[in-house]
Amino acid sequence: MTLLPYAHALVAREDLPIPAWLFAWGASIVLIASFFALSVAWRTPRFEDDRWRPYGAGVSRVLLGIPLQVLCGAIGVLLLGLTVYAGLKGTTAPDRNFAITFAFVTAWLGFPVLSVLLGDVFRPFNPWRAIGRAAGGVFRAAAGQEPRHLPYPEGLGRWPAAAGLVAFVWLEIVYGPSGGIAVALSPDDAAVAALVYSGYTLAMMGLFGVERWCERGEVFSVYFGMFASLGAFAAREGRFGMRKPLSAAGRWAVVPASAAVVIASLGTTVFDGAQEGGLEGPMESVGEWLTDAGLSEIAATRIADTAFILLCIGAIALVYELGVRGMASVRGAPPLDRLRSAFAHTLVPIALAYLVAHYFSLFVFQEQAQFTYLLSDPLGDGADLFGTAGSGIDFRLLSANAIWYVQVAALVVGHVIGLVLAHDRATALWGDYRQAARSQYWMLAVMVAFTCLGLYLLSVANS
Amino acid sequence: MATLLLAHVSHYLWVLYIPPVLIVLGSIAWTMRAERRRRD
Repeated sequence: MTLLPYAHALVAREDLPIPAWLFAWGASIVLIASFFALSVAWRTPRFEDDRWRPYGAGVSRVLLGIPLQVLCGAIGVLLLGLTVYAGLKGTTAPDRNFAITFAFVTAWLGFPVLSVLLGDVFRPFNPWRAIGRAAGGVFRAAAGQEPRHLPYPEGLGRWPAAAGLVAFVWLEIVYGPSGGIAVALSPDDAAVAALVYSGYTLAMMGLFGVERWCERGEVFSVYFGMFASLGAFAAREGRFGMRKPLSAAGRWAVVPASAAVVIASLGTTVFDGAQEGGLEGPMESVGEWLTDAGLSEIAATRIADTAFILLCIGAIALVYELGVRGMASVRGAPPLDRLRSAFAHTLVPIALAYLVAHYFSLFVFQEQAQFTYLLSDPLGDGADLFGTAGSGIDFRLLSANAIWYVQVAALVVGHVIGLVLAHDRATALWGDYRQAARSQYWMLAVMVAFTCLGLYLLSVANS
Repeated sequence: MATLLLAHVSHYLWVLYIPPVLIVLGSIAWTMRAERRRRD
């Protein structure tokens, strides 16, 4: 079994009917046409009210009831435990160890898509939330009162989650690979990181409360919840129901530093795509410069890669800021701070598009491993629990062209949705649909820039 | 020779991804100028 480069689209060279850069032109034309259609036809805001309607009490009783919550929580804790155990006791080969594929592929890439389709599915499975709630229950039973928590500093917002997201991706694609010295993060390091994160998360839950920390600081809750806000299904006040798709994204983004979370998501994905393409040369040069300065090869590579991941995040933030400042120049614009938070949710579909475009082929291939030999032999020690340990990955499942077309479609659809959300918010803020349309020239520029950047990164990575 | 030339050209293909962005930015600048002229 060959070692797999993690977190990259896995594809052979495609045989396209037109050059890849022409796809970028075509995608840009689609965005421009969408913009004009929105300017003419979308004159009033439609997503300010999500029109959430609850399903019958029976559905809520089943989906939100204690038995299912306990079961899902127990499964989450079991999987976390298995990940840690496999990481510490299993094989050191990342591609043969359950821990690496489960944490960095199945969960990290699977939950965003599931969240869009089914709602916040991570919430009942969140192992730390389950442990925190159980601990809270024990405290209540023993002390006869609710556990007391510190008030969460509202100005802090989602900054802890944004920082944690960058740290997670850094661990996976900077600390682990280290410039090709290692293929991926070692299972042992992943397990230790999981234990450290568990301790930190449970401590924060103890300080600020389980639900508060999950809303603001717990990386996976915030990250998967961000994508869930695009979807149609949501629980509210103890009832499960349906809302207008995309309508909750704006409300998700009102918490301070929500823009930081989505920009971190975009920036880290851009870095992952760029590090094997446009940024490969500069990163190697900086690494060599640091090695010449006396640092070890691994330290030099990690520092160089860290600088460039921060550069990518900064570049995404700069493009967004330019778009916001452009909108601020249009007559009737709200204050800059308000604009920054008011349009942060428009980047969420783009973050999802980038995620799907960059990683879906890896997901399709690696999930074959997850549900065959990694399930039967999670420690990579020769076990065959379910008789599938001898199975392999069929790379013929997706052709190179199919991968490229899915990537282009994901980017185009994601950016069109981003444009729709931006236009809708502008009609709510400006009132006059003509002024709103004028303000959206800038977001159109942002969307076209992100689309062309995304397709450029993918075309270089694929070639 | 042709192969060498193509190999060099491929380093600059990224340039072809920029025109759509420039066209949109140019349109914005043109629209803003037209509006300013209308107001004056």
